[in-house]
Amino acid sequence: MIEVKDLTKYYGDKEGRFKALDNVSVSIKDGDFIVILGASGSGKSTFLNVISGLETIDAGSVSFDGHELSKMSEKELTKFRKDNTAYIFQQYYLLPHLNVEKNVRMGADLAGTKDFSSYLEAVGLKEKAKKFPSQLSGGEQQRVAIARALAKKPKVLFLDEPTGALDEKTGRAVLDYIIKLKEKLNFTMIMVTHNENIAQTADRIIKMNSGKIVDVSENAYKKDAYEIGW
Amino acid sequence: MVVSIKDTSKMLGVSIMTFCAVVVCNLFLNFYIDLKAIKDTVTDPFAVSMYEAQVMTSKVVCSLAGGCLALATIVLLFFYIKHYIDSHSKEIGILKALGYSDLKISKSFSLFSLSVFIGCLLGFGFSFILMRKFYELQNAGHYWEDIKIGYHPELFLLLVIVPTILYALFACVYSLSKLNRPCINLLKGIVKVKEKERDSKDRKDFVSEMRSSVLKSKKTLVFFIAFSAYCFSSMIQMSAHMDELASDFMGMMILSIGIVLAFTTFYISVSSVLFSNNKNIAMMRVFGYSASDCKRAVLDGYRVAAYIGFAVGSLYQYYLLKIMVEIVFKDIADVPEYNFDFKVFFITLAVFILLYEGTMLLYQKKIKNISLKEIMLE
Ligand SMILES: Nc1ncnc2c1ncn2[C@@H]1O[C@H](COP(=O)(O)OP(=O)(O)OP(=O)(O)O)[C@@H](O)[C@H]1O
Ligand SMILES: [Mg+2]
Repeated sequence: MIEVKDLTKYYGDKEGRFKALDNVSVSIKDGDFIVILGASGSGKSTFLNVISGLETIDAGSVSFDGHELSKMSEKELTKFRKDNTAYIFQQYYLLPHLNVEKNVRMGADLAGTKDFSSYLEAVGLKEKAKKFPSQLSGGEQQRVAIARALAKKPKVLFLDEPTGALDEKTGRAVLDYIIKLKEKLNFTMIMVTHNENIAQTADRIIKMNSGKIVDVSENAYKKDAYEIGW
Repeated sequence: MVVSIKDTSKMLGVSIMTFCAVVVCNLFLNFYIDLKAIKDTVTDPFAVSMYEAQVMTSKVVCSLAGGCLALATIVLLFFYIKHYIDSHSKEIGILKALGYSDLKISKSFSLFSLSVFIGCLLGFGFSFILMRKFYELQNAGHYWEDIKIGYHPELFLLLVIVPTILYALFACVYSLSKLNRPCINLLKGIVKVKEKERDSKDRKDFVSEMRSSVLKSKKTLVFFIAFSAYCFSSMIQMSAHMDELASDFMGMMILSIGIVLAFTTFYISVSSVLFSNNKNIAMMRVFGYSASDCKRAVLDGYRVAAYIGFAVGSLYQYYLLKIMVEIVFKDIADVPEYNFDFKVFFITLAVFILLYEGTMLLYQKKIKNISLKEIMLE
């Protein structure tokens, strides 16, 4: 359970101060699939970074199963991230000098996962285990990033535009992987996108504009990755 | 063009090295030339043997300090160029895609020798500040009349102009060899990765995997970390004996050169490891690896190199001094045999361990402060 109350976040100092999040409140249940939707610059990534404990806040609170993130020490935050969260970025951020298998181990080791190759299998990349990131296509790299995040067995998976750099075909396939794995493993999933169609796959849609949440709606017509428009 | 003056200003390490090299070489070479000029006036047999000893020392010190530092400078220069090309591969790729030839791009790398020029020039000037004192000390026993300091323009040519031109050439040729990569690889920032696959059974944990890959991707830094430990160990131990063998002044000079060199090379190496692993560290932190895990993954691999460098430095200074004592004082009776000084060795080692491990802990703090958002800034 993630509880966000009256959250405000500024960027910059006094003169050039910019309110990136303005009095945001929302609560997210375990096992929820949330999509955060909004135009570029509306504060989606900032929101994601704040609730995942990557960024500090200026006012309000973010608590995770009753523990307030802003009160945690650096050490506790590290442990929190280790035990609970995984992150998938638009730009993958694989480690370039390590092969696919070792990249996945980065997540697996933290959770003590021994059979990390099953995660590679799940994203269909078992054959490419010994390849390096630069030898893979964008979609394949993103799938490695997904395997790496899932091998960590997170309670909450954060995704920032995971299909933003992919074409329609690969994008759908990657999205499909993620959604299927979510249904199987039942973690909480919070995904940022600016694409209204992708939002149709979620349980709940949070709409943001200029740093504010303008709408939270249950998604009655949940679709899968191949039913949505692109 | 590609390389700007601002980029060369980051090469302080090269300037410091050449500065040290030129200070030492100019002191001894200038003295050597002036000493040669008075050869005929020295007649007393004892003075003659002292005279010869000093001529010999000048030669040995010059070739050792000069040679060693010149070599280290070359490696450092190459390292900077490689680092520059790696971190600017996109810009260089674009230039190549636009049709700039490798030669044209590589020419701009000769600008890097500006830092050599500055170091040499300052070193040359600075050595004249020390010169008077140095001449006095070399003749502390008044074996011969005081030598006037001569000014030798050929030394300026040899120690300032020639190195600058040579290093400019090195920079061009080396960068040319590094630029010879397909344009697309530069644009995409593709790194060449070769790796022999181990048997899948002997899997280490991720942090050790990461450590060995960081080591492999930055082999030059292994050399520099070892080199900095080597400088530290050899120069400090050597300086402890200079008061008996030469003079306090020499001791101080060697000590300060050793410390300056050790710290600059060490700082450059460790900073560059961290810089080039910034994103990887941030990613590890996002995943929940602690700062000490990151330090283990990125920095601990160099520890062995550091201690090996230290050991080599200790042996080197012992044999060097032993040989020097044998050559320089060969005609002088009653020179005690030169033995390995364990007391100095252990003190230096203790200081080294404290400094090395302490600095590593400081860097761990630095890792903690790497912004996790770092990776999101492309
Ligand atoms: N480090 C920063 N310093 C100052 N302002 C920032 C910083 N990061 C983001 N901003 C500003 O905060 C606002 C929200 O940024 P954010 O990255 O959250 O937007 P976003 O909704 O994710 O947009 P996009 O869809 O383009 O990724 C933007 O106006 C941006 O300019
Ligand atoms: Mg964003």
